[in-house]
Amino acid sequence: MNFEDKTWLQRGRWLLLIALAAGMYVWSWNAAGMQPSLLIEGAPKARGIIKDLLQPHLFTRPEEIQEAETVIEAPCSGSPPSPAPDEGSSDGPAVQIEPACASAEDPVMVSGFGFRPNTSGRLHWAPAGMQGRLRDEQFTTDAQGAFTVETTVPPLLEQQGGVSGVVAQVEWESGALQPSEPLRTTIEKIIETVFLALMATTLGGIIAVPLSFLGARNIMPRTPAGNAVYGLTRGFFNVMRSIEPIILATIFAIWVGFGPFAGVLALSIVTIASLGKLYSEAAESIQEGPIEAVTATGANRFQVVVYGVVPQIVPPYTAFTIYQWDINVRISTIIGFVGGGGVGFVLRNWINQTRWTWASVAVWAIVIVVWLMDYTSARVREAIV
Amino acid sequence: MVDEKDIAEETDPNRSPALASLLSLIVPGAGQLYLGERSRGLSFLGAAVILVGLLTWLDMSLLYIGLLPFWLWNAWDARQQAQGRQPSFVLGFVLIAVVVYAIGWQVTEISVLKLVEGVPRIQPVVASLLKPDVVTRDVEVMEAIHIFESPCSGSPPAVAQPKVDAPYLITEPTCADVDETITVRGGNFPPSRTGELWWENPIGQASRLRARGEFVNFETDAQGQFSQQIAVPDVVPESGQHGPQIHEIKPRVSTPVGSPHASETFWLVVRRVGETIAQALMATTLGILLAVPVSFFSARNLMAVNPVGTAVYYVTRTLLNILRSVEPLIMAIVFVVWVGLGPFAGVLALVAHSIAALGKLYSEAIESIDPGPIEAVSATGANRAQVVVYAVLPQVLPPFVAFSIYRWDINVRMSTILGFVGGGGIGFLLQQWIRLSDYNEAGTAIWAIAIVVTILDYASAQVRERIV
Amino acid sequence: MLEIQNLTKIYEDGTLALDDVSFTVEDGEFLVVIGLSGSGKSTLLRCINRLVEPTSGRVIWDGEDITAASQEELRKIRRQIGMIFQQFNLVKRSSVMTNVLSGRLGYVNPWLSLAHQFPREERERAMHNLELVGIAGKAQNRADELSGGQQQRVGIARALMQNPKLMLADEPVASLDPATSHSVLKYIEHLNRDQGVTVLCSLHFLSLARRYGTRIIALKAGQIVFDGLPEEIDDHRFKEIYGEEAVQVEVR
Repeated sequence: MNFEDKTWLQRGRWLLLIALAAGMYVWSWNAAGMQPSLLIEGAPKARGIIKDLLQPHLFTRPEEIQEAETVIEAPCSGSPPSPAPDEGSSDGPAVQIEPACASAEDPVMVSGFGFRPNTSGRLHWAPAGMQGRLRDEQFTTDAQGAFTVETTVPPLLEQQGGVSGVVAQVEWESGALQPSEPLRTTIEKIIETVFLALMATTLGGIIAVPLSFLGARNIMPRTPAGNAVYGLTRGFFNVMRSIEPIILATIFAIWVGFGPFAGVLALSIVTIASLGKLYSEAAESIQEGPIEAVTATGANRFQVVVYGVVPQIVPPYTAFTIYQWDINVRISTIIGFVGGGGVGFVLRNWINQTRWTWASVAVWAIVIVVWLMDYTSARVREAIV
Repeated sequence: MVDEKDIAEETDPNRSPALASLLSLIVPGAGQLYLGERSRGLSFLGAAVILVGLLTWLDMSLLYIGLLPFWLWNAWDARQQAQGRQPSFVLGFVLIAVVVYAIGWQVTEISVLKLVEGVPRIQPVVASLLKPDVVTRDVEVMEAIHIFESPCSGSPPAVAQPKVDAPYLITEPTCADVDETITVRGGNFPPSRTGELWWENPIGQASRLRARGEFVNFETDAQGQFSQQIAVPDVVPESGQHGPQIHEIKPRVSTPVGSPHASETFWLVVRRVGETIAQALMATTLGILLAVPVSFFSARNLMAVNPVGTAVYYVTRTLLNILRSVEPLIMAIVFVVWVGLGPFAGVLALVAHSIAALGKLYSEAIESIDPGPIEAVSATGANRAQVVVYAVLPQVLPPFVAFSIYRWDINVRMSTILGFVGGGGIGFLLQQWIRLSDYNEAGTAIWAIAIVVTILDYASAQVRERIV
Repeated sequence: MLEIQNLTKIYEDGTLALDDVSFTVEDGEFLVVIGLSGSGKSTLLRCINRLVEPTSGRVIWDGEDITAASQEELRKIRRQIGMIFQQFNLVKRSSVMTNVLSGRLGYVNPWLSLAHQFPREERERAMHNLELVGIAGKAQNRADELSGGQQQRVGIARALMQNPKLMLADEPVASLDPATSHSVLKYIEHLNRDQGVTVLCSLHFLSLARRYGTRIIALKAGQIVFDGLPEEIDDHRFKEIYGEEAVQVEVR
């Protein structure tokens, strides 16, 4: 009887647990706004981005531009302008337009010579009294560096009236590959990121060492005061660890302004909390035996610390510190999102400007640096412990 | 004890101390390399190249001087080595560290001055953060209205008379130009209270009066009356171009009534924290479900049995490593573009990161399976499925569970900030509030995060202890 | 001469570890303390150099009252009393050399020692002591790279650095296999016979106690239940000390 009752109860408990879990998942599904269909609907957008992310804009060639200008009057005034004959135009590029004055949509013929041969270019209109240019037909120069384009006069020229400019421009890439702007910025910011993590790890680590003794059960006396200090220190570690560094960085950015310093401060706090906890645990696992042995030789207190305690805590402390540096590098790649310096700042800017091929450079740099840190820190830790 | 090799080096006449130190002076580490100390020489050379490279790239030419002690020390070290001594590496390490930290100090723009200067800026923020907006009481507002003309026309509004049974306000005069001082008198307000003065311009925009940046308040006396001098504010855009206009002045005394109850902010935060936890739960669950098959593909002992398997192993491992290096916050941006703003994008980012992280941990657990029990169970004549159930699962389940709980912890933390890039959860509100300088509300969110994360952390630690 | 007078130790949790123990050790004796686990052997040894503070009673060594010594005096006394431990108590991550040198801490300049600086003759002495225990080749190894027997030899070398007149050995072979046990105890015996160091050694096995001790004290529940020569312990005595169910085990 009793036995059956128990199984029934147990079965009931399991059913209840399953029902509870099912309810939680249903609620979570709604609360987290799960809409798998969006993944497919948004796929075309994502495809473009992912394609760009796989093509980082790493190198550029310097661009060279060759330009020549003439003028046209629209509408005709009766005394068409004669383009000022260029002094050195005999060997440089030159451009002519036929007729010299026209109305809107009238056909005109633009011809140029003396340009770089076999190069593509574009014709522009520079309407009178306006800063901007109107883009028009593309052309390619022939083997002698000449071209002819038939086009029509844009209505805007007539609206503006007077003498407008006609510009022919050819462009080509020349010279050696050189690092692109995003690559140069990224390298600079990655250096900043690694140093940001280094400074924060050092600063946080230095503060965490004394604090860790306050948070070690075997070091703090079991008096009410000792218990209170221990509890407070451990509580501080736990609460600070629960707050993401990004949130701290927003607050520090208000304090010291945008820039890597805010990131250093935020990461230092995080480092104090997590290293403090790890250090305390390492201090708690110190073996009493060696301390006893050194004491028994007649060593004084300092000697006992240097020969009995320090050798026991230095390797784990070092290992944890390197591990934390590794983590801090990861965090400092995103701390720039809220103005905390590092590569995250430019990454977010480029993403906001939808320059995905630029953002891609930063993302790949992050991947490489984080992976390198991960690998070396694992190796160094293996060697130490 | 000194072994023979050392003695041989000590007495080698071919190694000239002068040449060694000269070599090291020209190229750091060269002298050590010449002496056959390869690792020492290469690390000195590496350190010098990296430091010089950094200083050049960052254009910190002044710090080249900081490199000098290391340079000299390295030459001295070469000399000592040539004479058969083994000087300690510590000094050189310290000299390098000094330069590295000097660079770091500059690159990260560390400035104690900024820290001190910013104190007044941060003080009110911290004060507000420490006073989260959790509990509130309903407020009853007593308000009076008086019309006022600015600038003066020929016929200003009439002076109001004190009312008997309702709050009232009288201004003298009833019209004035911008910045002129007028006297406002009020009565029939609750006695001995502080009230606010509001000013509504002709197009209905109300704002609290300020004097030199501070809000103007009034204090009522024991009879509920007050008298206050105020300057007419410039509250109409380009007011000089418009003619005389009618404004309204509204003194306001608010009285809390009823019992304290949870504030609107509190409920907002609760809802968003719920969303945050839901995100973490969905992401962890999906992450686990997807990471398990992935981990089989990236376990060396399962895959590296034939060339195809080995290739799959390396491809999966590499992909996981790349994915793991990218913070979820960055992934969230991509997913926000993909599926739009909201918690779903955040879940996807966390899922992607969870697959990468768990996939690696799981596969390592699989790789460290002890073949002994498998052999033993197979030897009893068990079939493949039985071998898996009795020899494989008991070995991989505990680490799988431990890693999964650990992942859940991380996902809860991460989901609190996904909102910073539009990925839903409490982070969205938090960022909004910080941008709008609503620090009491931001404080509520931060406290909620701290409490929820700490509790969940503690709970999962308990669960982990029980299971593992 | 070491005199133990009415030594009593009650731990904070109320455990009575030593109950009014009195005995005298003459110079040059190899005194073995036997007894079950928890009978108070460790406490007794630790009360002598005050690693454990006795609750009452006195320990007098060469006319000097250890129990009444100030911290500074205690340090001076401790450096003449070597001690070796069951778990060796080496700093595992430090080198063998550093561990041995740490035995000399009571003698050297305290400030220089904080920077790990030892005079040349101390380093030579350490090397010499390592040669004595036969592991000079391992001087630069990390302590945890050594086997148990080797670690205990490092422990002995460390104690030798103190030039001890008295050696306290707390279960020195309890963590070692029989063959290693004998080699370690032989070093201690050699110290006792050839250098005249008085030895107080607690042991688990009666066979070892009989083989090495010149005199045996047995503890049971913090009290002395036997004090005499090794050959005086017969079957009856044995049962008294170790309880009725015990069987003698021989360690060869």
